[in-house]
Amino acid sequence: MPWLGTLVLLGGSVVFVAVIDSLAFALIAQRPPVNLMRDALLAPWRAVAVSLVRQQNRTEHPDRLNWALAPALYLALAGIGLAVVPLAPGVAVIDSSASVVLWGAVETLTVIAVFLHGWSANAPLPLIGAYRYAAMGLPIMLLSMFVLIGTALPAQSLSVADIVASQHDVWNVLRQPLGLLLFLLLGLSLSLRGPFDYADSADLAGGTASEVSGAARLTWQLARHAMLVAFAAMASSAFLGGYLGPVRAGPWWLALKMLVLITLLVGAGHSLARLPPSRMLTVLWTVLLPLSFLDLALAGVVALW
Amino acid sequence: MSGTDLAFWTLAAIAIVSGWRVFRTDSMVRSAFLLLISFIAVGLIMLLLRAPYLGVATIFMMGVEMMVMALFMVMFMMNPAGLNPMNMVHQERFAVVAGVLAFAGLAAAVWLTDLPQHPLAAGRPVIRELGMELLGRSMLIFETAGVTLLATMIGTVVLSSRSGRFGPADAGSLPPPLTPDGVPAGRMPEKRSGGHGGHGGHAPAAAPVTAGEPAHGHANDHPHQPPEHHA
Repeated sequence: MPWLGTLVLLGGSVVFVAVIDSLAFALIAQRPPVNLMRDALLAPWRAVAVSLVRQQNRTEHPDRLNWALAPALYLALAGIGLAVVPLAPGVAVIDSSASVVLWGAVETLTVIAVFLHGWSANAPLPLIGAYRYAAMGLPIMLLSMFVLIGTALPAQSLSVADIVASQHDVWNVLRQPLGLLLFLLLGLSLSLRGPFDYADSADLAGGTASEVSGAARLTWQLARHAMLVAFAAMASSAFLGGYLGPVRAGPWWLALKMLVLITLLVGAGHSLARLPPSRMLTVLWTVLLPLSFLDLALAGVVALW
Repeated sequence: MSGTDLAFWTLAAIAIVSGWRVFRTDSMVRSAFLLLISFIAVGLIMLLLRAPYLGVATIFMMGVEMMVMALFMVMFMMNPAGLNPMNMVHQERFAVVAGVLAFAGLAAAVWLTDLPQHPLAAGRPVIRELGMELLGRSMLIFETAGVTLLATMIGTVVLSSRSGRFGPADAGSLPPPLTPDGVPAGRMPEKRSGGHGGHGGHAPAAAPVTAGEPAHGHANDHPHQPPEHHA
């Protein structure tokens, strides 16, 4: 039942993301610890209720079709991203021999979904967010694919299932520690979070989502959380051995690793500062991208050893 | 009709209709992404043909390509942000003739070719075989073509980005005035002292209103420069 398992994993993890998000914010903001946990558990549901009763916003001459479809596309891409991850040996919704490339296509189309979300509103702040994200998202996507190909080398396969199976003796994070660090940047970028949120950030009053309210905004936030979940599943499978564990391989190990990665990324999103876009572009093209080449070259040397 | 046939005809119809809409829409961004839909349909047809790597890689590469193409079109065309409606069809007579000829040629090629009919065995390692072909026998061809294309792209951008919207970009061009013989529109460049001797030479020292650097919008292609400039 890969379908059911993936859906349960998605739903549970999305709720976890929302709860840990408000908990992390409360902890970092040092709220008095009265009802801290209860507030964090309730906050996401309150946000859902508020979104559902709020009316939809309108702008002047938006591209209605793309504006309505962009959140759905984003959510669907998160679903496809999670579907390529095997829950147990031979149990994956999409068990393709080129599933790593499919994950790359998900990354690319995510940039397009976020761009269209900002572009089609026909308003200044969403448009700035859209163009800024396209400029950032493409180099981050490039370096993530170099890093991911590094994990495909020891498996000698482009299938995520084979990549997980190749980590039976030693996880890829030990073979390529630099790879996991670089790949984690992609998680922040794909889910528009913290230091890599150049689309929906506070300096643009919400960016691509600044003119969106009601159910459309709820879908968009849900898709952001779902994309973080899909990314955590992919990172766990590519670097942390996925469903493999010390005893009894199975989906529980994957879920555990995902929860650790999600907590790490949510914490990073709340605690790290965002560079100005021009400086971040320089860092991406001149520092991080060459580092990903280095990681791939090292992975090649180790694989040939 | 099997499920595969149904999928093929549906995807083929999507590819053709979205390819046609590319030229009927009124925005560069929309037309780029309609073309992407067409390519995605073709990529999915490749999946039906048991070419998983080529099919998914087509979707992946075309996604990047169309995003970059939309950005570059908006940057190079006079359409801020790509939101203004514009006609996507130009040189219609030539385009019709070229289109009909290309269609006839390609249709004839498909008609006359002896197309292979070898359904692949299910367990065949197609990706491995493709990799051996691309990076084995044909490596020199692919690498040469790749580097040539990259050099062409960089060269095109370097050559085409010099001529800015209002004159050569590296000469500090000025926008045209809003009224005939008026002051150039938009913000003036900051006045800088020194370092511009070569430019200041052919400008009258008392160029009145263009306080910035009046010599920059070279008079030849800007008939609406202040009249003092021609004197």
